[in-house]
Amino acid sequence: MDTRRFGATSLVLYGIAGLWSLIVLIPIVYMLMASLKRRNEMFLAPLDLPSEFNLSSFERAWGVGVGTFMVNSLLVTFLTVVVIVAVSGMAAYSLSRMQGGWPRFIYLLIVAGFAIPLQAVLVPVFQIMSGAGLLNSRLALVLPYAAYGIPFTVILFYAFFLDFPKELEEAATLDGCSRFQTFIRIILPLSGPAIASAAIFQAVFIWNEFILALLTLTRPNLKTLPVGLMELRGEFSSDWPAVLAGLTLATLPLLLIFVLAQKYFVRSLAGLGK
Amino acid sequence: MMYETSRNGVAGRPGHAREHLTYLLMLAPALLLLGVFVFVPVVLVIAGSFYEFSLTSEDGRFVGLGNYLRIAGDEIFWIALRNNIIIVVGSVVLQVGMGTVLAAILDRGIGVGRTLLRTIIFAPMVISSVAVGLVWTIILDPNVGPMNAAVTGLGLTPPRLGWLGDPTVSIWVILGIATWQYTGFLMVLILAGLQSVPKELYQAAALDGATGLRAFWHITLPSIRNVLVVAVLITTVGGFKIFDLVFVTTGGGPANATQVLGTYIYLQAFNIGDLGHAHAMSVVLLMIAVVLGWLQLRVSRTA
Repeated sequence: MDTRRFGATSLVLYGIAGLWSLIVLIPIVYMLMASLKRRNEMFLAPLDLPSEFNLSSFERAWGVGVGTFMVNSLLVTFLTVVVIVAVSGMAAYSLSRMQGGWPRFIYLLIVAGFAIPLQAVLVPVFQIMSGAGLLNSRLALVLPYAAYGIPFTVILFYAFFLDFPKELEEAATLDGCSRFQTFIRIILPLSGPAIASAAIFQAVFIWNEFILALLTLTRPNLKTLPVGLMELRGEFSSDWPAVLAGLTLATLPLLLIFVLAQKYFVRSLAGLGK
Repeated sequence: MMYETSRNGVAGRPGHAREHLTYLLMLAPALLLLGVFVFVPVVLVIAGSFYEFSLTSEDGRFVGLGNYLRIAGDEIFWIALRNNIIIVVGSVVLQVGMGTVLAAILDRGIGVGRTLLRTIIFAPMVISSVAVGLVWTIILDPNVGPMNAAVTGLGLTPPRLGWLGDPTVSIWVILGIATWQYTGFLMVLILAGLQSVPKELYQAAALDGATGLRAFWHITLPSIRNVLVVAVLITTVGGFKIFDLVFVTTGGGPANATQVLGTYIYLQAFNIGDLGHAHAMSVVLLMIAVVLGWLQLRVSRTA
């Protein structure tokens, strides 16, 4: 290939990808920069860099409880992911080992749950939680989030378990392991990659979920990050640097985790198309 | 029946019944959670759409198809549906389109810097829509936001009522924000598809003289047809489900101009308290989601 032409082509290609990266980066960089500004600088010089390195807006944001919101989000996300992996793992294993027509029917039923959006059934889910007296408890998020995470995770695990070598399980059975013991001791420890994909995929969704958390948790000490961030805007109606500082505190940890572990994020989300 | 199965070979193994019981017990938690939080609510929404009642009242009045007739005559319902369609069509064109272009560039177009570019472009996906909405609300704010200053600096006039306050532009601005957030996700999805295209195909095509853009049209696109269909379906479902971004940036305003099904259902149910109306719209959203979800599973199974 002619090197001159190659040069021009790759310049255009780098240009397109670089431009989009810039579009993505500018708002994130703006958030970081403006959170360091003083309140009057926001009005007087919207495009300028902050005049000094000033962390007072971070103190104000932290004072509203960003730390508490973060701990709440962590707790809810962790608990839900554990429930999803355990419950979907057991279900997918049973379905992949049972013979006959009705396990197939149950599999399809679970898969059908994949199509139901939480938004469309918000009212009855809220009423069920309220009826069970679970409003303002973490279970009000953990249980429904788990339910909505099950279908996709079962699909993922089912395919994984079907390809699992039968010899290992047969050896375990000969050694006197029951079905459940085989699942716990043989299958789960060897399912690391599938579990990691499922866990990351669900964690991103749960960490960011907003509507149900908004409806079911009204006590400040239970609120998760997305709901807490809305609170922050209400609290500081014109203190934009404080809102941006809160947003920075909320998003930066996740962005850092993503940059460090991006291989796993990308792999788990890319699996959707297969 | 029991004796029948236990007499023939494999199924008659000792402990077979116990094994069966174990399987059932292992299935039970998943079915219980799905039943209580997915399937029962679906039945309640469908049944409730034939009644007129409020969030506080115990039982409602049967009105048959009354709620559906009411939403058919409700102008805001149609505005909401139209806005969902704008978001869906716009997202498919912009996000899947741009996602495909970026994926093709990262797959075969360039060498150095691929991982860096992929990391940056995908990053907005791990930020919550609430945070994305809030950051953009500040960026687009007519008083403090840098957008107006930048646009004015270029010699152009920003919308007089604000980017999110002008009813004629606000839904398009929301589409833009959604595109900022989700294009990277589609790029990664499509990139995974591209990487499974066998390299020999490109070599064979190059021998026939097809390289560059021609190879993209004739080799790349046909080989990732299924992935593209899945990408379009995921984007379509996402566009009908959109809630957080609209709720945070405009709350459905100004004057319902950016109302979408999600926010309008929320408004009717939790602010106005007209559950019959909310349920009928929820059924519409459910039907759209189920049809699209079913299509998605069909396509990905044959992929």
